[in-house]
Amino acid sequence: MADAATQLKLPPPVPPELERVPLVGNNRDLGWLSDKIAGIAEGKTPLWWWCAFVPSVLAAGLLGAMLVYQISTGVGVWGNHHPTMWGWDIINFVWWIGIGHAGTLISAILFLLRQRWRTGVNRAAEAMTIFAVICAGIYPAIHVGRVWYDWFLFPIPTANGNWPQFRSPLMWDVFAVSTYFTVSVLFWYMGLIPDLAVMRDRARTRLRQFFYGLFALGWTGSNRHWSNYEKAYLIFAGLSTPLVLSVHSIVSLDFAVSQLPGWHTTIFPPYFVAGAIFSGFGMVLTLLIPLRKICRLEDIITKRHIDVMCKVTLATGSIVGYAYGMEFFIAWYSGSPYERFAFLNRALGPYWWGYWLMIFCNVVVPQLFWCKRIRENLLVVFIISILVNIGMWFERFVIIVISLHRDFLPSNWGYFKPSWVDIATYLGTFGLFFTLFLLFMRFLPMIAISEVKGVTPQADPHHPLGGAKANGGSLG
Amino acid sequence: MKPTPPLPPEPADGRKYWRSLDQLTETAEFQQWMEREFPEGATEWHDPVSRRHFVKIMSASFLLAGLGLAGSGCRRPEEKVMPFAVQPEGYVHGQPQYYATAMPTRTGAIPLVVKAQEGRPVKIEGNDKFPGGHRGTDRYAQASILNLYDPDRATRFVKNGQTVTRTEALDFLEELARKFAGNRGAGLAFLIEPRTSPSFHRLRQVLQQKLPESQWFLHEPVDTAPVNVAATAAFDAEAQLIHDQWGHTRRPRYRLDKAARILALDCDFIGDEDESHTLIRDFAQGRKLSGPTDAMSRLYVVESLMTLTGAQADHRLRTPASRVAAVTARMAMEILKLAPPAGVDVAALTQRFAAAADAAEGDAKWIAACARDLVEHKGRAVVLAGHRQPIAVQWLAHAMNAALGAVGQTLELYPALSSGANPADRLLPLFSLAKWLNDGKADTLVILGGNPVFTAAADLDWAKTQRQARTVIRLGYYEDETAAAKLCDWHFPLAHYLESWGDARTHDGTLVPVQPLIQPLFGGLTELEFLARLAGETPANPHEIVRETFRREARPGNFEEEWKQFLYDGFRADSAPKPVESPFAWAKCRPETKAPETLSKERLEVIFHRDYSLDDGRYANNGWLQELPDPITKMVWDNAVLLSRQTARELGVKNGEVVEVSLNGRSVKGPVWIQPGMADYSLGLALGYGRERAGRVGNRVGFNAYPLRSRETPHFAVGATVRPTGKTYPLACTQDHWSMEGRPIVREANLEQFQKDPGFAKRLNMHEPPGGMRPLYPNPLEEKKQKAHHQWGMSIDLNTCVGCSACVIACQSENNIPIVGKDQVKRGREMHWLRIDRYYASDPARQKDKSVWRREGRQQFESWIDDPQTVMQPMMCQHCESAPCENVCPVNATVHDEEGLNVMAYNRCVGTRYCSNNCPYKVRRFNYFDYNKRPINALYLGPLGKRKDDEWDLIKMLKNPDVTVRMRGVMEKCTFCIQRIEQAKIAQKVKARDSGDVVVPDGTFTTACAQACPADAIVFGNIADPASRVSQLKRQERDYTVMEYLNIRPRTTYLARVRNPNPAMPDYPAIPATLSEYATKSGDPSLHSPADAAPGEH
Repeated sequence: MADAATQLKLPPPVPPELERVPLVGNNRDLGWLSDKIAGIAEGKTPLWWWCAFVPSVLAAGLLGAMLVYQISTGVGVWGNHHPTMWGWDIINFVWWIGIGHAGTLISAILFLLRQRWRTGVNRAAEAMTIFAVICAGIYPAIHVGRVWYDWFLFPIPTANGNWPQFRSPLMWDVFAVSTYFTVSVLFWYMGLIPDLAVMRDRARTRLRQFFYGLFALGWTGSNRHWSNYEKAYLIFAGLSTPLVLSVHSIVSLDFAVSQLPGWHTTIFPPYFVAGAIFSGFGMVLTLLIPLRKICRLEDIITKRHIDVMCKVTLATGSIVGYAYGMEFFIAWYSGSPYERFAFLNRALGPYWWGYWLMIFCNVVVPQLFWCKRIRENLLVVFIISILVNIGMWFERFVIIVISLHRDFLPSNWGYFKPSWVDIATYLGTFGLFFTLFLLFMRFLPMIAISEVKGVTPQADPHHPLGGAKANGGSLG
Repeated sequence: MKPTPPLPPEPADGRKYWRSLDQLTETAEFQQWMEREFPEGATEWHDPVSRRHFVKIMSASFLLAGLGLAGSGCRRPEEKVMPFAVQPEGYVHGQPQYYATAMPTRTGAIPLVVKAQEGRPVKIEGNDKFPGGHRGTDRYAQASILNLYDPDRATRFVKNGQTVTRTEALDFLEELARKFAGNRGAGLAFLIEPRTSPSFHRLRQVLQQKLPESQWFLHEPVDTAPVNVAATAAFDAEAQLIHDQWGHTRRPRYRLDKAARILALDCDFIGDEDESHTLIRDFAQGRKLSGPTDAMSRLYVVESLMTLTGAQADHRLRTPASRVAAVTARMAMEILKLAPPAGVDVAALTQRFAAAADAAEGDAKWIAACARDLVEHKGRAVVLAGHRQPIAVQWLAHAMNAALGAVGQTLELYPALSSGANPADRLLPLFSLAKWLNDGKADTLVILGGNPVFTAAADLDWAKTQRQARTVIRLGYYEDETAAAKLCDWHFPLAHYLESWGDARTHDGTLVPVQPLIQPLFGGLTELEFLARLAGETPANPHEIVRETFRREARPGNFEEEWKQFLYDGFRADSAPKPVESPFAWAKCRPETKAPETLSKERLEVIFHRDYSLDDGRYANNGWLQELPDPITKMVWDNAVLLSRQTARELGVKNGEVVEVSLNGRSVKGPVWIQPGMADYSLGLALGYGRERAGRVGNRVGFNAYPLRSRETPHFAVGATVRPTGKTYPLACTQDHWSMEGRPIVREANLEQFQKDPGFAKRLNMHEPPGGMRPLYPNPLEEKKQKAHHQWGMSIDLNTCVGCSACVIACQSENNIPIVGKDQVKRGREMHWLRIDRYYASDPARQKDKSVWRREGRQQFESWIDDPQTVMQPMMCQHCESAPCENVCPVNATVHDEEGLNVMAYNRCVGTRYCSNNCPYKVRRFNYFDYNKRPINALYLGPLGKRKDDEWDLIKMLKNPDVTVRMRGVMEKCTFCIQRIEQAKIAQKVKARDSGDVVVPDGTFTTACAQACPADAIVFGNIADPASRVSQLKRQERDYTVMEYLNIRPRTTYLARVRNPNPAMPDYPAIPATLSEYATKSGDPSLHSPADAAPGEH
């Protein structure tokens, strides 16, 4: 039998060129991973962090000042006007909401689809999602004329029996965005629990021990804990998946339900979701490429991760491009002169530059990702990711401003210009976003430690390096 | 059980006398009361404390507590409720009271009914009982109520710049009266404005008798007297030319309602001629169509400026003002040849203007065809010449009228009203006064009204001249340029006409009363009182003066009854003189006209015109008028140098560029505005802007054109040059885009087309969506609608709407619409619920650019704007039955009611502005700032921007208490005057009692815009009643819906416009330009079948 055992033929070794690039580079062991990731949130605050944090806080303060000014004085301090009653407020709302799509998509949909590479980026992307949704959520709340009556939008059973109007897409927005935010926060926090326990165990001060311990909810890493955790994670992933699709679909209905040429389009829900994923991945790339460098995370966020995300960007960018083309086709095919005009006016009207900037950034530039060498050149990828963000901002500009500024009656036509308060408020939301993100990476593990460990060879019992067999390997 | 309503209100249409009968008894209290003129507690107004006291009494709940963040913190403002000390008889709190009165104008008066709430006049309306149904008013009358509450009006008695007490000022008048009674008025001069008040002229005669050596002068910057002078010259064989002026004994009155063909020679009878509201009404009569068989008048216009009249023209000849004389001469020649008047040597007559006529050779075809058409309609044609044209042109126009048999038909001649009727007491013009002053004969100059320092001809150097008098006394409504301390020794505040007893004669000569609705807010004097005091009459009681004048009119013995009737009706029936038989004096006719000068870019023509908003500058401090878009340029808060595209191109200037216009060594600087339809080498300069002492609203708005205006050429002058300064100046315009882009928004056809295809308007409907589809989610209101008594709807006749904009101001006044200032308008945030869209169209062949998406910046240089056709369209909330604004509002702030109104719940509105985005008409307005609470120059200061207390007090008095004053962050829009609807319904319910007849009869009430419309183009009513006027209009074949393809079923529909061009004319368009623009884009509409697009049921 021993002979038979020795005669058992192992499959021929995979040739190196066909070998999958490992998800963690340099064959790093589990201990290194813990040290590396937890180390970012421990130790002395690096100088670069302060350099980034101070301007961010100042910018967030600017946001506060702008909100005080706008609320005390009136919406008029912004640039929107008759006929363009929505301007940067709703553009930025949709833009931030769009950015807030990548995180939950990565953690939920890619989890269900067994995309193991997601582990390297999901934590940061989810954090980005939450902070982006916070930035987004500010806008609809304050863009209204009378902020102090925002509660009219919630179905609160009051004595006078006034209910919100459930036919209005803005109403659906309130539910969609708040549900999405709640679920995203819970999902993110749940995923954090094992890592919070790691942080707790590594903490050296009482304060850190207390707070990490508080939020780790007594995690011990027992089998029962892990089992419950895995089940809950799956359930959350299942819950979040439709939300990823619904939230931006509903945001798109803000436009599609109206009858304005340029808004009144059935293609909007899928087109908006694709655009949101596109912009979300753009933002993830914009954030992670520098972070990977600064925090020396090249072995965890590998070029393979970047490569995959570039491919997602390419795919969604192409969908968006298709949608742009289809809008034009339908406008022509509808035979409605108003529809035709709305689209010709996009491309050739006073805001033609906005339209063509959008086409360049969203449709032309991502096509470069067909080329592997470009996907591997991180500087180029970084620049493209920024262009994607700009392009997606202009997509919302094109939809909102260009459609509104010239509609049915030419007597109403106008030309929208933002005011300085619009611009300062927008910069302020960046301040808030980066403040939150910098705090996040300073105090929480930026990468899901347990999940990354789970995709290393060491965690695979069947792998030569994996499990207890790996005597040679250090388990740290 | 039905709850019993407390105190059923009376029907809202009852009119009251100013005094109750009891008060007419001769009691001691009454005598004292009469002396006081107004009830106790309302005297001594210069003291702000007692003014406030009055306000407290008059308005039972008046907000006194500090408002805003500072002071009262976040506490609820304190309210004090003050009961009446003595309840006026018949007074029901909250019920408006209506008084008949009249607004005096230069050459007439507008009969009015004014609504008062708690003793405050709040809304001005036309007197619909007036013979001839003058329900409509003009924009000035509508806006004049704002002047009453103007915090910058003269509020004090001033001596050498120092405030003095009223007693001191009146003592001075008494002393003056004594002094001049002693020397028979030597060295005393009066400068007055033209007015038609019989009492005024009676007092003047009294004064002239007492002070025979006093001198009387007349000044009016926009003087329409030449029209009368010309009529006198033409029709009064006895009239003589005295000095260089005629006394006038005749007044022309054009009966455009009877005219089939109208030729207007530089005559903007719709816009800037006097009595335009009457002329609009008459003109509209001739343009009303009930069906394709109706006749319709045809309007020919020869003009240089693009005016409202030009916008209505069926044929418009664009020519400089200085060349109008030539066109007139040629036209007269043609007409006199075609229809030679009996016994006139036509050849000898036409010889006089043959040279001028030759100069119009270039337009020979146009003139010949027009002349033929006029002659073909002999007896039903009329020629009007504007007041800006020289007497010779007007004389020729009357010669044509005589030849066309218009006299007695379409042109009626009336004896002149009192001013100047008798050549002996004819008033001398301002330059005679200047001469008199400069001769050093003046001791005392009394200026009654008027603002000569601002408006006098530049070559008179009036500011200096005025100072030649030792004492200058002025009775003025504002402490304006004329009232400057160095120029004026004494200044007396003038009472508003709503605070005054007075009388006037309307244009047709009917006697109308001017009744006060409120005690003079700042103790101002009326002109009558002022003159009476100078005549030495104390106490001078204007009420008694007017009664005294009326005594001559009334039958003796029946005076009190007739006086009451006079005040109740607001006019004296049958007091108008009959037209006089006055044949044209052919023997005397020698209108001398010269050939016009050739214009070029080095030698331009300047036209000084009365502004559509500010008149001659007198309304400069009226925010409503400042913010009223000019009906043609759509500009607000500014005037500009209007010029044609070609002139601009040759001068190398573009919109907003500041240029220096020089004429005879004087120059002014102003921004350029390229105006479609302007004559080449003509510059249009609106008067009345650039005021230095107008008040907080009107100071330094626009530029002052008066410095270019000389005595010799008050209306237009040739020889101006333009130098670009290289600077630009921002102009605020409410409508940037001029073209309708071929969209079927305003639908038009020529008369023949309409006769052939009466349903043409519906052929322009788009072919979707298919009608008759049942909605997936039926509107729950549909069922309720079936049961409701009323379904409100509106019909707007684009054939008779002339764009005069009286409706815009009426809406603003009725609905407490704030002004927002130039900066906000520039940002597109004006608040008018009702706007008038003005589009230019031209033959698509002329529109060389194939693109529809060009930038606006370029349309000013496109050649198609040279001779555009102009269309006007009032646009307000259309009250769609399935309103797109409603289903997108997340908070149910805009909802539908069962009577078909799209209503706004301001309290519920949070201001997402989604409704505006989804409104295809974009008629919703958003309160971007606290426009009511903050002064317009401090909007961006938020809570730190505070209105001054005097502004606050007066602004609050102006508001219509039946309409919510909106705060910031709230959307608003036309409500179809829901407050009037509810009042009418309540009144009808009260009247119906148990009979159950709660349907408001048609015509009991109407919206503010419809009420103000002089053309009766807007009709509002109950469309559930098939007999109502609005239902009948909606059944007309011209009826159409704007943007019907959206299937939103608006309750406001339009009657398509019909043009009536003459096929024989060289510029005859086979179809209207808007229609050919449509055809190039969407195909020939005559091939569309109207049945395809089933309109939604109404």
